[in-house]
Amino acid sequence: MRADAVRGHLDGLLLAVLEPGPLHGYAIIAAVQHRSRGALELRTGTIYPALNRLERLGLLSSSWQSTGERRRRCYELTDAGRHTLASERTAWSEFTTAIGSVLNPAAPPGFAT
Amino acid sequence: MSAISRQAGPIEDYIAALTAALHGPARIKARMIEEIHDGLADTVKAHTREGMAYQRAAHQAVGEFGTLDELVPSCQRELTIAQARHTARAVALTAPLLVACWYLAWTTDHDQPWQLPHTAQLLALCLAGVASVAALLAAATLAATGTLARWLPIPHQLPLAVAWTGTTASVAMAVATLALATASVLATNWPLLAFAGALAAASHAVVAASARACRQCARLPAT
Repeated sequence: MRADAVRGHLDGLLLAVLEPGPLHGYAIIAAVQHRSRGALELRTGTIYPALNRLERLGLLSSSWQSTGERRRRCYELTDAGRHTLASERTAWSEFTTAIGSVLNPAAPPGFAT
Repeated sequence: MSAISRQAGPIEDYIAALTAALHGPARIKARMIEEIHDGLADTVKAHTREGMAYQRAAHQAVGEFGTLDELVPSCQRELTIAQARHTARAVALTAPLLVACWYLAWTTDHDQPWQLPHTAQLLALCLAGVASVAALLAAATLAATGTLARWLPIPHQLPLAVAWTGTTASVAMAVATLALATASVLATNWPLLAFAGALAAASHAVVAASARACRQCARLPAT
């Protein structure tokens, strides 16, 4: 999937991979690529300003943590971030159902979710 | 990181170009650059672990991160908003101080005949009005760029508006400094007015510098 198509869903992707627990920047990139099995073509540098924005909005919190000999900025979901992730999932489910119904009217409702 | 700093030309070039292209609050910019540098270093490490030659891994990592044209606007957008919040915070904290200075000077001399001409009192009222409006706009900016931004998009021109609000407030503070300095010579309670003038001067220095940086950021292209 092209980077342009992914951009509109970047916030949801970042919130989703942080749901299990705190991660630092590269681990977030690796988690997105692992979960998508490499199908998402992501300009990985763009996740850093996105993480910054999500933190400003209060959806993530961050702190410096030492991992081995290096210190890294780790991000985790706030309660508001969990609510937003739930909303993103609902919106995505409704969107794919609606588009799926148009693209393939023979399929039963909800086939694309 | 130091090993990479010595060996990886593409990464250091990329980070140097990114550092030169971005403008904003120094601490936030440094943190953003450090995170991106770490991310590149981790990517190179992951590629070399898979058997890729170091230089090729560094070039590939830079390619995966995206070109500067792709990365700079989104980073600059965040830095510009951070600078706008910085300026708004400075105005929101110092403008009420200016009003308080005038009020204190006014009420302290309340028992004695006011030593300043009527025009000075009018000037004080105008400056206090400007400071109050600036403080309200600054508070609104902090709200609009913080939690409220989850539901309301941030107007594209907001950083520029904050920059000019800060500039106006800093001019008001400079005028207040001169007025309070003059008043301290004429008034009976001169130490208090001189202290208020010094506070106004310090506020002007803080807000003017921040507003200048905000104007610079607001002129840069951002997504």
